[in-house]
Amino acid sequence: MSTIITRSRITPTMWMVVPLLIVMAIGFNLPIIMMLAKSFVQDQSFTFANYIDLIEMPVYLKVLVNTFKIAAITTVCCVLLGYPLAYWILGLSTRWKIICLAAIVVPFWVSILVRTYAWIVIMGNSGIINRSLLELGWIEAPIQFLYNEFGVVIGTINVLLPFMVLPLFASMTKIDQRILSAAETLGANHVTIFWRIFFPLSAPALAAGAVLVFILTLGFYITPAILGGGRVPMAANMLDLLINQMPSWEVASSISVVLLALTIILFMFYLRFTNEEKAR
Amino acid sequence: MVSLNRFMSLIKGVTSVSFVVASTMATAQVKEIRILESGGPSGESIEAAYIKPFTAKTGVKVIRESPTSLGKLQAMVQSKNITNVLVELGSTNLFLARATGLLEPLDWDKIDPDPMFPEAKIEDGFGYQYFSTVMAWPQGTKKLNSWADFWNIKDFPGKRALPDYPAYTLPLALLADGVEPEKLYPLDLERAFKSLEKIKDSVAVWWQAGAQPPQLLEDKEVQYAAAWSGRIVDNPKLDYTYQQGLLQVSYFAVPKGVDPAQKAAAMGLLHEMSKAENQIVATQTVPYTGASPDIQDKLPADRLNQYPTSPDNKAIQALADPSWTASNAKELERRWQAFKLGL
Repeated sequence: MSTIITRSRITPTMWMVVPLLIVMAIGFNLPIIMMLAKSFVQDQSFTFANYIDLIEMPVYLKVLVNTFKIAAITTVCCVLLGYPLAYWILGLSTRWKIICLAAIVVPFWVSILVRTYAWIVIMGNSGIINRSLLELGWIEAPIQFLYNEFGVVIGTINVLLPFMVLPLFASMTKIDQRILSAAETLGANHVTIFWRIFFPLSAPALAAGAVLVFILTLGFYITPAILGGGRVPMAANMLDLLINQMPSWEVASSISVVLLALTIILFMFYLRFTNEEKAR
Repeated sequence: MVSLNRFMSLIKGVTSVSFVVASTMATAQVKEIRILESGGPSGESIEAAYIKPFTAKTGVKVIRESPTSLGKLQAMVQSKNITNVLVELGSTNLFLARATGLLEPLDWDKIDPDPMFPEAKIEDGFGYQYFSTVMAWPQGTKKLNSWADFWNIKDFPGKRALPDYPAYTLPLALLADGVEPEKLYPLDLERAFKSLEKIKDSVAVWWQAGAQPPQLLEDKEVQYAAAWSGRIVDNPKLDYTYQQGLLQVSYFAVPKGVDPAQKAAAMGLLHEMSKAENQIVATQTVPYTGASPDIQDKLPADRLNQYPTSPDNKAIQALADPSWTASNAKELERRWQAFKLGL
């Protein structure tokens, strides 16, 4: 954050943002700080007991580790699917570019709940794929695609791929084609040009997109609940349980502090990558 | 930390001032009360069956808010800003809320209820709705008669769905293992988890929302599910049995620190909820019955056994013990999560 503020000078129109900042501080930041402060309180005195509980209860840590694992798998898959997709769109004619980008953006208008349930229709035990395979006689019993980690990852990738493709595509269009032509006149072949010029230039946007996808996966709630079949515990579902069912707000708040701290560290990386991109 | 404390006490000051303003306005004359309930068809049944006659009699408007949760109740009581005079709570949550000191006793003299089942009439909770966790399957699938059948994958093949809540699923696991319904509590956790181990590989979905099991059954995602009775009995595509169903009660409770005039008005609404004829109206919106033991005379004989509290059905179900569940909630949840992580 500080790098952004020091770079951009404070302008006279800054005061126009002040009302929004006040609303955010009172309506959003303050409640969060009060909630997080709860993690240091037990019987109205300052304590680390909630954090000691957290370490001594392997269940909570396992769920956190599981959440990070799902986030890592999702990120890797989004990179592997998203980068070639963005690169491919870049080479299309303007008309097809618009069609492809629209196809990527349109799902944003569909409720996440509907998109999640749609996967049951496609990949469920009696979904299109399994029924076709059964009819063809290729399998004897339905293949269990959903209600496991695979199902959750399909759901998260489906929702998050645009977050990877769109910024990546925007950054790729900004790469100066003349550099590539210059390399070609100097005798470099296409593979060399891609790996030594194009890829390094798009790498900051790729890294920023990856961190964004990773951070967003950490907060997923509906997808693990529906496509995980309750078998894939993730942090948001555990927090819901601790806040609405149990209520152990102190433990919930200490888990949130851990999650927030890790997310802020990741966000610093994100800022670094996006700054590198801007500095280019 | 010092500055934070000062800051927080400032905030508390501001909220308590607004609370005083709000409560002095309310005591003048109660014109409306707000209740926090589950929403959906259940909320509509409250509107049609209880709120309508109550407002007609007293002129007090009732505003429904939803969904309810123990977290919302805790937030209300701790911030000393009681926005809802009645809060719907599942039976276990009622006992958890009592243990955390979030509830006020009801004024049963003022409620002056019609006859009620004893488990629905407790110091700080008014049991207004009975629901059961029952076995269900799509029409045309081989019928089940017990949880032992549900656990029997060999003779009743297919995927299962069970609630992702230990308070519901552990008693079912014990019934499946042959424990007598009246000897369920205190739950033998070792035995319950051992029983679950036998079926866990066939459980495709551990569901969290009541809407999930009927959908999973209709889509043939699973062949058998434990589901809430109200979601099943009206569905022509599904079949079910109340045999060995786990009967539970939903309560209305009053948050601690509520304005007395508001509370007095709310007792009148609870009185309407105790009347058998109003409960019958509620069943037209959602197939859950109330705590009246007298519904059988007022319901057509062919519909009577759709409901969990008909004399026939009450006899063949097991009654959950929410007070035991609440006092062991932390342990249940810890072991449940550990079990699920091992899946």
